[in-house]
Amino acid sequence: MASDVLYFLGLSMSGLAVGSMYALIALGFVLIFKATKILNFAHGEVIMVAAFICFQLVTVYRVPFWIALPVTLAITGLMGVAAERLVLRPMLGEPIFSVVMVTIGLSIFLRSLAGICFGHDNHVFPSPFPVESASVGGVVLSYAHLWSMAIAVGLMIAFFVFFKFTRLGLAMRGTANDQDTVALMGVNVKRIFALTWGLAFVIAAVAGVFLANVMVLNVGLTYVAIAAFPAVVLGGMESVPGAIIGGLAIGLIENLAGGYLDQIIGGGVKDVTPFVVLFVVLMIRPYGLFGQEEIERV
Amino acid sequence: MKSQKKRVAVWGVAILLGLLVAGWCAADERGVTKDKITLGLVLVKTGPVAALGLPNGQGMVDYMNYLNEKGGINGRKIEVIWEDDQFEAPKSVAAVKKLIHRDNVLTILTTGGTNQTVANLDTINKSKIVNIPNALADEFFKPLQPYIFAMGATYEAQYQCIVDYIAQDMKMKDPRIGVVYAKKEYGKKGLDAIKERAAKYNIPVVAELVLPTGAVDASSQVLALQKENANIVITCDVLPPVITFLKTAQKYDYRPVVFGFNWATDDALVKACGEAAKNYIGVNFVGAWNDETPGIKLCRELAKKNDRQIQLTSLYVNGVGVAWLFGEAMKRAGQNLNPDSLKAAMETLSNYDTGGIFPPVNYSPSSHAPAEMVKFFKADVPNGKLVPITEWRKPK
Amino acid sequence: MAIRSKTFRESYYEDIKLFQTIWIKFWTVVFVIGLVLLPFFGDPYFVYLVNLSCIATVAALGLNILTGFTGQISLGHAAFLAIGAYTAANLVQRLGTPFWVNLPAAGIAAAIAGALVGIPCLRLKGLYLAMATMAFGVLVEYMVITWDGLTGGVRGMSMPAVSIVGYSLDSDEAKYFFLLSVTGLMLAAADNIMRTRIGRAFVAIRDRDVAAEAIGVNLTRYKMLSFAISSFYAGVAGALYAYTLNYIHPEHFTLLLSIQYIAMIIVGGMGSIIGTVFGGVFIVVTPEFIKMFAQALGNVVPAIAGRYDEEWNIAAFGLLIMLFLIFEPGGLYALWNRVKVGFRNWPFTYWG
Repeated sequence: MASDVLYFLGLSMSGLAVGSMYALIALGFVLIFKATKILNFAHGEVIMVAAFICFQLVTVYRVPFWIALPVTLAITGLMGVAAERLVLRPMLGEPIFSVVMVTIGLSIFLRSLAGICFGHDNHVFPSPFPVESASVGGVVLSYAHLWSMAIAVGLMIAFFVFFKFTRLGLAMRGTANDQDTVALMGVNVKRIFALTWGLAFVIAAVAGVFLANVMVLNVGLTYVAIAAFPAVVLGGMESVPGAIIGGLAIGLIENLAGGYLDQIIGGGVKDVTPFVVLFVVLMIRPYGLFGQEEIERV
Repeated sequence: MKSQKKRVAVWGVAILLGLLVAGWCAADERGVTKDKITLGLVLVKTGPVAALGLPNGQGMVDYMNYLNEKGGINGRKIEVIWEDDQFEAPKSVAAVKKLIHRDNVLTILTTGGTNQTVANLDTINKSKIVNIPNALADEFFKPLQPYIFAMGATYEAQYQCIVDYIAQDMKMKDPRIGVVYAKKEYGKKGLDAIKERAAKYNIPVVAELVLPTGAVDASSQVLALQKENANIVITCDVLPPVITFLKTAQKYDYRPVVFGFNWATDDALVKACGEAAKNYIGVNFVGAWNDETPGIKLCRELAKKNDRQIQLTSLYVNGVGVAWLFGEAMKRAGQNLNPDSLKAAMETLSNYDTGGIFPPVNYSPSSHAPAEMVKFFKADVPNGKLVPITEWRKPK
Repeated sequence: MAIRSKTFRESYYEDIKLFQTIWIKFWTVVFVIGLVLLPFFGDPYFVYLVNLSCIATVAALGLNILTGFTGQISLGHAAFLAIGAYTAANLVQRLGTPFWVNLPAAGIAAAIAGALVGIPCLRLKGLYLAMATMAFGVLVEYMVITWDGLTGGVRGMSMPAVSIVGYSLDSDEAKYFFLLSVTGLMLAAADNIMRTRIGRAFVAIRDRDVAAEAIGVNLTRYKMLSFAISSFYAGVAGALYAYTLNYIHPEHFTLLLSIQYIAMIIVGGMGSIIGTVFGGVFIVVTPEFIKMFAQALGNVVPAIAGRYDEEWNIAAFGLLIMLFLIFEPGGLYALWNRVKVGFRNWPFTYWG
């Protein structure tokens, strides 16, 4: 009996740990969607490229991790601004579908560019976190996971404060709401867009570095972003707390399905469960748990 | 006006016929001239699976260049044209057609993985493409496919050997097997082979869990295995998920003996996992990178000379071995080199030694079956490499 | 007679005519003759590429009906191809039915699945619909892998070539004529559907669904119909794929394939039948051209000789999609139209 409880707790904790990764990824999606109504399909590629940049800094140029991390964040932030300027700004006013396709094009481009620059080998990130794990009453968690959970929650609070109390945050919310009005109020919408993209890329980089710490680093890291889609939809595409909670929930559900259903139903139920959840959420509550329901008028 | 039209028509027909005849004539002497042999190769170069294809193909190319430096095959130099199939069947089929009809190659060393080779079967037989597939499915030699020469050990044989080893060599008191597999061909075949073999020895298989290739972590799998008290874990997964599994297991202080098959038995695993690989035992049908056999020594020299930064060394060794067999067969085929003579020469390789790269190779006109032999390797963590712990052995 | 500077339509009949001018008819005939003669000039590799283009065209046509004409984004098109391919393969393997049963059956099976997916997706629009169809694609992929009794699971399924009155179409040329005729049929059908009430209803939904409903278009019915027709095309394409490759495997029908089809209709031209053909051919053939170009460049500039890498090709492909969307959102079809008009009005061309 006690072992059953422990099993459940273990599954839940590790699920939450993985969920915190999903949350970090989902946060990047949500930020861009919130301000620009674009779903950025190149997000996974940014995650992977950022992880590789950090990896190169640490291994090839021998930069200590805690210096390499901010450098990586700065580089990816600039990449985000550049991507907005070069690829997305020309698309202003185009239908959503075309804009989404542009990001798909960007993702293909970035992925093969990464293949050219970084090769296809599997790498193991020289983790700055201790290998041993923290154990609380028999439930085990690695430090990398603890950090990512802490950072996910920290970012959630930071963004909450940012959107609520700063002028820039207010401008971003306004832009998301109505671009024309906000422009009339004197907000530089183009600058807000560029900043949003930069910020989203920085968050992607954070996610990438943490993922590389717990996973094997290779070009395939991009596909994790697809696994985070259900988290985005579950939380609501434009809600920051939604992204975090959606991510944690999906991680939890996935792990519990893996721990209990995989043995009964058999065969990889763990990996489709998030998509079943996604499908069900879309049917019942398309705007997610925390999203805004849109009312359409003609 | 009318005569002009007629003239155009006549010319048109003439050109058409000319092209047809030209195409027909070009078809017969395929890939072999007085001083050159052109060979094709279809292997993945891009995308997530490229880590497997690149070292494999590099091994083949490097060995062929090495033969060229030694004077080529009966005075002919070898050229290898390498096409990328991105591990997709339609692209592999296209690449094979291009190599055969446009580049006019003698044969294609490898036409990609299982999936791609099955899609190409028809062309392989029609165009007489002598090849050694890079995959280990028994439908490639059971029943005999005239132009496919299987090499290595099938997934079934590898896992049978592993269960044999558990039952007979390990002498464990109460073995309980947990299986971690991918929903791929090797995963399913491996799982079935393990279950069947374990039943024979009366060893319980207590858990079957899926671990996909791109898994973020393996904690639910590890926890489930721990709960079932599995003290042996057999993985039917490629390298990255096995690394993820070992690292996750280490995190939970779960230390079973972990087994893996050829796609996960490589020095790279030990280097990546460090301490976590301490209880890892893998099987492979090529020798280890640090063996002192002449074949493996040559592999190391070639890699050094060509400045290859190889991570999956076992695949490079595999590539060199495949090219070695082709080189020998082409030598034996003599001056009159064509797909048929190459096939016949391949079939003369009996008890042929590749200097420790492969177990002895045995082909004959009635059998193109692989040796079905593997060696067991154990991780030597301090030195970051695998060391052999058995000789070549077959399933019992 | 004065010079005709434009085609003027004087009645509704003229507006919906299939061949609007005698020239269109003429060029169509020339084009068809060219196609029929093609295998006598190209080697099997070339013919195979054209075959792949045919299949891509049929599948992309289906997606264009759904996305380009009706405005419903789908990221799960590959799933319907899979349903079609496995239906055909099962019919052949279990019942031994001939191709003229299998092709429509594959289409109908996919269409039923499409209509069923359409029902829950009726409430969804834009990105949410894209997400839902993507999830559907993942679920179908999972089913195909898991349900090995029906699909052969990860071992795949083999498929014999089409046989017509005892003659097996197993060479690339024979397959070419078969694929060409099916593709022609499907194209004609699509063109005709789009000229009728149904097609116009689709376009109305795309342009403004609420307004369309206000003028009497039954949204539920037409959206479902659009899903069904689109999936029918995908199903047929899946069966054609199985017949061409003679082997199907779950890994052939992934999210990446769906994305490829989207790329096709974008590059070709959303909401254009002829554009779909351009797109299908373009996406299949372009990598070849990029490669040829890279190698030719290598001959001129020695510094890059032999440095060609397949990754560059894919990168160029991604770049191409972006460039098209940024500079020519109408796709190849718009480009083609501009060139055509430019020539017709020459020398008074306004290349705006």
